[in-house]
Amino acid sequence: MGFGAVGKGVAEAILLKNDFIKENYGFELNIVAVADSSGSAISKEGLDLKSLLEIKSKTGKVSNYPVYGTDIKDMDVLDNVEYDCLVEATPTNIETGEPAKSLTIKAFNDKKNVVTSNKGHLALFFKELMDESQKNNVQFKFEASVGGAMPIINFAEETLSSTDIESIIGILNGTTNYILSRMTSEGSSYENTLEESQQLGIAETDPTQDVEGIDAACKTVILANIILGIPCTYKDVYVEGISKITSESIELALKEGYLIKLIAEVSKNALEVSPRLVKKNSPYAVDGTLNMATLKTDLADEVTVIGKGAGSLETASAMLTDIINIYK
Amino acid sequence: MKMNLVLELQDIPGQLVSVLSPISSLGTNLVTVIHKREDKNERGLIPVQITLEGEQNNLNAVISKLNEMQITILEVDGVILREKLTTILIGHVIDTNVKDTMDKINGLTGVSIVDFEVKLAGELESSAKLVVESDFGMKKKVLNKIQEIALEKNFLVVSEV
Repeated sequence: MGFGAVGKGVAEAILLKNDFIKENYGFELNIVAVADSSGSAISKEGLDLKSLLEIKSKTGKVSNYPVYGTDIKDMDVLDNVEYDCLVEATPTNIETGEPAKSLTIKAFNDKKNVVTSNKGHLALFFKELMDESQKNNVQFKFEASVGGAMPIINFAEETLSSTDIESIIGILNGTTNYILSRMTSEGSSYENTLEESQQLGIAETDPTQDVEGIDAACKTVILANIILGIPCTYKDVYVEGISKITSESIELALKEGYLIKLIAEVSKNALEVSPRLVKKNSPYAVDGTLNMATLKTDLADEVTVIGKGAGSLETASAMLTDIINIYK
Repeated sequence: MKMNLVLELQDIPGQLVSVLSPISSLGTNLVTVIHKREDKNERGLIPVQITLEGEQNNLNAVISKLNEMQITILEVDGVILREKLTTILIGHVIDTNVKDTMDKINGLTGVSIVDFEVKLAGELESSAKLVVESDFGMKKKVLNKIQEIALEKNFLVVSEV
């Protein structure tokens, strides 16, 4: 469900990797339905992903898919197809969490596994969604919702399974990291740099979710719940964005050997997204659209991960990993 | 016995020699000197790690002498004595009685502002850098104080991670 940048990325990733998955994990992925806001394409034999991507890029609508294109939309799609796993990539909605929330709960009730890149429903209804998935004995995976291709949820749960994680401090939004990095290297104002980022397609036309820290706060909630076991929702996070950051403040910080970054802090003492000072030579000093996170553990001390926080194929890679982990 | 010190010195010729000369005259031997140039800050201060060897009494005399010379001793044998806190304030820093802001911070025991720099941006909100030195363990208190002032005067505080 959802065939924007992330949904298309998943289709591309499957096209590229289906043989690899068959060879290494012994199963094949068959896409039986794809839906966007126009309608859907449904075929129990499986859709041809190449022509699906072509049709979407030419006409903008998956419902134009030959023979199997339909005007069936939203929840109804799930009732019109036999499937095993819902790959949910609809736009994040921080007001209601919809349509992701309803789609996900419906899939759970139909005993289907769900893989998502969405943040809104997780930030608002984390516990409810987890309870529903457990009640129905299905798997629910959302690695892609935090940090795109940067491994963090699976990394903490599986790779660091011997340790207790005390806190996570990181840069969880690529757009703001790009803006702050450019302001630092160019000495430019916030307004000019935002405009430049919008022209480059890095910042959205309405950049509120990124620059006001809302996106990073959603990710903070997800990490707090899943990795640190702190029951919280979006309203529990203190959020301050970067729109008040001046080029002068960046210059002053540089003089003391610091950079200003939009930092998310996840710990029992603090759930916070705010501009902070980080040492120039520290692991926090990553530039451009990169994301990073330092996990403070009891046994392994600090472990840092860095990766691409956005991008169609990058985010899809995390979703494909989740799918493989469910079915391998 | 050995003693490790971390001092904060000006990175200018003569400064290191002036610190090292009391060491031999007070009957201790210098074992190593490490300049941590990569940590130099804008005011030209760098941490210098010194290892000394000598009798306890003589080592104590070196500490007293350095204090007398008003040299900042950051650490003794790995124990941190002085902490530094850097924050950036964004807001109407000058118009909201800058003296009052500084007095409130300096009013805390064992705390002193060592650097304060403001950059103005016309009628817009200005940006200030505030560096505060405090006795060990006071950092959190200092930050709380700064945040309390910020709340009252509507500043955005950008603090260290």
